[in-house]
Amino acid sequence: MSAPRARVDPRAGTGARGATVDGSAALLPLWRGLVVFRVVALGYAVANVVAAVGYYDRPALGVVVLALMTAWTLITSVAYLRGARRLAVVDLGLTMLATTSTLVVDDPARIGAGGPVITTAWSAGAVLAVAVAFGVRAALAAGAASIGALWITRRVVDAALLWDAQLLLVAGAAVGFAAVAVRRSAQRLQAAIATEAAAAERDRLARDIHDGVLQVLALVRRRGPRLDDPELVRAAAEQEVSLRRLITRGPVGLDVPDDEPVELGAALGAVLPTRAVLAAPPDPVCVPGGLARSLLAVVGEAVANADAHAGTDTGLWVLLEDDARTVTISVRDDGPGIPPGRLVQAAQQGHLGIASSIRGRVAELGGTAELVTAPGDGVEWELRVPRPGPQGER
Amino acid sequence: MTVRVMVVDDHPMWREAVARDLGERGLDVVATAGDGAAATRIAPTARPDVVLMDLQMPHVGGAAATAAILERLPEVRVLVLSASAEQGDVLGAVRAGAAGYLVKSARLEELVDAIERTAAGDAVFGPELAGLVLGEFRRRERDRQASGPAGPELTARETEVLRLVAKGLTARRIADRLRLSPRTVENHVQNVLRKLQLANRVELTRYVIEQGIDEDT
Repeated sequence: MSAPRARVDPRAGTGARGATVDGSAALLPLWRGLVVFRVVALGYAVANVVAAVGYYDRPALGVVVLALMTAWTLITSVAYLRGARRLAVVDLGLTMLATTSTLVVDDPARIGAGGPVITTAWSAGAVLAVAVAFGVRAALAAGAASIGALWITRRVVDAALLWDAQLLLVAGAAVGFAAVAVRRSAQRLQAAIATEAAAAERDRLARDIHDGVLQVLALVRRRGPRLDDPELVRAAAEQEVSLRRLITRGPVGLDVPDDEPVELGAALGAVLPTRAVLAAPPDPVCVPGGLARSLLAVVGEAVANADAHAGTDTGLWVLLEDDARTVTISVRDDGPGIPPGRLVQAAQQGHLGIASSIRGRVAELGGTAELVTAPGDGVEWELRVPRPGPQGER
Repeated sequence: MTVRVMVVDDHPMWREAVARDLGERGLDVVATAGDGAAATRIAPTARPDVVLMDLQMPHVGGAAATAAILERLPEVRVLVLSASAEQGDVLGAVRAGAAGYLVKSARLEELVDAIERTAAGDAVFGPELAGLVLGEFRRRERDRQASGPAGPELTARETEVLRLVAKGLTARRIADRLRLSPRTVENHVQNVLRKLQLANRVELTRYVIEQGIDEDT
């Protein structure tokens, strides 16, 4: 038996690094969007300070705060894109601090009259960062904290504050929701990939094991004459054929709805007696379940007929062919065959018998059944049925 | 003349049993190998007439080993002997130049007969392989209709012979039925194999040209 050919890292597919396993990598586009927002909002904050600096109590301190905001924008941009999502908490704290610094920088009268805080819309960046990093609830909490910082700074509940509050909460919740959805779907994808990798590995192992079992069964069968147990040898031979058919054509379920496809090669492998030699094309031959069952019933009748007339010790061959428009199944035995005129005679005597039964059933499927036989040359049925649909289903 | 055989199989119990059986039947087992890479290495010194090749093996499988051995030693004949080969693997080995295919459960007499026929230059073509090859040419026919010529086609007579092989008729029976000599039947079978291998080369060449990597070949 074969040794494992390709070793699969047990962690492969489930993600060796945390970044992959919790789906964080999928959040990168959201982080990029946040960075863009931050930079644009910083531009707006700069414009705001330039316009208002003449009215500030402490203009120099205002410029320092603005410089710190710029530096912080750069730091967080790089850090977030590298996956440092926990930084969002620090981000929120510092942003709130920057917002409340307006109290010291600006003229209290201007603030009371509804003038903008020094951070302006830039302060929303931290809330959005928390949303991407930790989801909806954290985003709502961060939004509430930001509004708190705004209120501490302004000390008035006016339309502007309510408007800001509304925007912060809605934007935070929306982005948080998106982040959670993206992360979940990434995790599902990861899980699906891992499952598929595991299934492929299982299949490969199964093939190896089956190959080993088949080797042993084949060996028992070949050594048969030297072994003192014909029953065991016969059983080994039967198991060998069944397992080989299962492996070469795959498992098959015949119990499907009429219009669901069934692979005829596998289906024949499952129903034919083990003494039959099955020849089939390399590609699957799929026909609707209803047609497959009807065809298998006719094949079963031809095989039963061969058993009855030629005996179960003779050879039996079944050939499956598929040429896009027709499916052909040939069933041949190498028994004594039928003498000429025997079938005609039987029909004249009113014995419609097996031949007309097979012909009738194939005709019902829109096909033809041809019988080739001669004394000493066995009996061969060639059953042809058209593939359903304009092109077949290939 | 005694036929020189090399047995390539990764299953030690099987390898030894086959080597012993063949030896008892008067064949000269000149070497055994446990995988395709070892077989390719050993073959030039062992100089077998016939290589008995398993398909499912670790590292280098039977189809690849068949191609590698035949590239170095084109006069060697490869007979594939496999327990559970997937259909694609069997076809792959035949396309790579194997002269025949037998399932491992074949009786010892069948195996010895197949080896002797392979050594004599015949194609060992059971019904299963005939069914696969027939299906393969039909697939090419479909592809041809979709994407233009893709290598040689079978003649009507070759298809007829192949179908009878797939239905389990012996060469003699086929000859009787088609009123041909058994030799002619055998020639048809050989031609089918040659066309399959040729078609493989045509496909490879076309692939190489399409990929634009034909400059230094």
